[in-house]
Amino acid sequence: MPVINEDLEAELGYVTSPAEQQHIRNLWNEADPLMQDISVSLIKGDNNRVDQLTKEALEAGFSANTILDDGLIAGMAIVGVKFRDNLIFVPEVLVAARAMKAGMAHVEPILSESGIEPAGTVIMGTVKGDLHDIGKNLCIMMLSGAGFTVIDLGVDTSPEEFIEAVEENEAGVLGMSALLTTTMPNMGRTIDAFEEAEMREVVKIMVGGAPLSQEFADDMGADGYGKDAMSCVDLAKTFMRPDAELSISPVD
Amino acid sequence: MPYQETMSPKERVMNALAGKLVDRTPAVNPTNVATVELMDLVDAPFPYACQDGEMAARLAATGYTELGFDSVSPYFSIIQESSALGCEMQWEEKDNWPTVRMYNPIWKSADDVKIPAGILEHRDMKAITDSIRMLKDELGDEVAIIGKTMGPWTLAYHVFGVESFLLGTVDNPDETKKALEKLKEISILFGQAQIDAGADALTFPDHATGDLVSGEYYKEFLQDIHTEMVDALEAPLILHICGKTLDRMPYIAKTGMASFHFDSKNDPQAAMDAVNGGITLVGNINNPETLYARGPEEVRQEVYKCLEAGVQMIGPECAVPLATKLENLMEIPLAIKDWTAERHG
Repeated sequence: MPVINEDLEAELGYVTSPAEQQHIRNLWNEADPLMQDISVSLIKGDNNRVDQLTKEALEAGFSANTILDDGLIAGMAIVGVKFRDNLIFVPEVLVAARAMKAGMAHVEPILSESGIEPAGTVIMGTVKGDLHDIGKNLCIMMLSGAGFTVIDLGVDTSPEEFIEAVEENEAGVLGMSALLTTTMPNMGRTIDAFEEAEMREVVKIMVGGAPLSQEFADDMGADGYGKDAMSCVDLAKTFMRPDAELSISPVD
Repeated sequence: MPYQETMSPKERVMNALAGKLVDRTPAVNPTNVATVELMDLVDAPFPYACQDGEMAARLAATGYTELGFDSVSPYFSIIQESSALGCEMQWEEKDNWPTVRMYNPIWKSADDVKIPAGILEHRDMKAITDSIRMLKDELGDEVAIIGKTMGPWTLAYHVFGVESFLLGTVDNPDETKKALEKLKEISILFGQAQIDAGADALTFPDHATGDLVSGEYYKEFLQDIHTEMVDALEAPLILHICGKTLDRMPYIAKTGMASFHFDSKNDPQAAMDAVNGGITLVGNINNPETLYARGPEEVRQEVYKCLEAGVQMIGPECAVPLATKLENLMEIPLAIKDWTAERHG
């Protein structure tokens, strides 16, 4: 079913790249109007309405997976584009994330009981000396929504803690976050520690955080740089499966 | 006529802050340039140099005596007031910055905001005022002493937690404004105490960065408060906001503050265009990729780029990574002098 919700159509107007708009529009190709309502409510950050609509959808017989993919994650795709293009900022993303959590509270228990094989295991943490976690938490929420098992090491994480967690959980992907220019070098030190422990080959390392750049990530020897939570999910997907379909198509 | 320095570092900085003529562009450190190497050199390691006035003064002085900057700044972190307010602290050691554990905020609403009696006598606030007095005695005639008082937006991150505070700006903007109004009293109190102790200028960090909030947010929540600060504090103010800030620079330029300390995410020429003469600029040598990871030649190139754009004071974009090489920091004043000599020599 095409997009019939007027508010959602208006939101799609913020996606200016035609290829990207088509890619995101396709997320609702087979979606019920109720899923479009959930997406719009999430984009607007209306957590109460997402909570109510998710319950209604489950009662109406929609599967948890359908609600997650066609309602919640599809809505976050537009939030991701608006954030990337500086149309919205962190407060607006946080209210959208809170709305997503309201929906996830209903679908997550069903998904965990369903025994679906996770997309992979990702270790996430903010580096040593840095106590900022908003960006990391947004990434974790999106990774969980995309089917990854995520181990959150929290903030102020030492290289040893990262190494131990990768070993213990046999994780294929590690994500490190930093908000401060003063703590960014600790990402490089952590990557060096993986080299010294002869574990660099067993894990793909992605980095992110406001002051980072692709150049800095390359210099440190990271495998990938994620500008925002959606790119973080896309990176994790490509690390696990290079032909994976991405949440946001590359901007043309 | 060959280039000659005719001003003291202090005169140079104060003139630049006032938008007056200078003999050469000053090298200024509105945040600070403390490194582990400097801590070792004068035996003033973190976290003690953030808690003891004498150590703070000793470490701050190295910005002038060892690195050749035209200013000194003894407030090395962004946590002194928050520590005094009772926030849970992580003091770390000399190779890491002290930080506030913002995931355990002390307050929930504007009504909770209360300034403890005698807060200026708290060890971590007194360390700063004591250090300024000492620096004034030792170097006060030669070099500009730049104090620092945190703005209400940054204090709000610490006392309410970043996520909770930012969510509040959407859920209840009036409550946010009320909280900022109350928190600004701490900025004024500590700022004036530093001026009374001898600070020539104050850095006013208030991290409404483009990485978190929009330029319109700055206008709605902070522009008026920052304008008020100019009258409330009797010294030139240097507003510091990290990250992308071009979209809010036109608003910042209208506050009446003396200068804006800007980040390397903003092109120097674009920043000069954005403020359009409304405020002087200081910055914006990149920390992680240049000062920390590259060499003097790359530092020099960035200094020249700022000078060519007309940036009035040159310095690192923010507090430098603690393992930054001294030769890279020393290159900033050296490059300024060479550039000036090349053009006027």
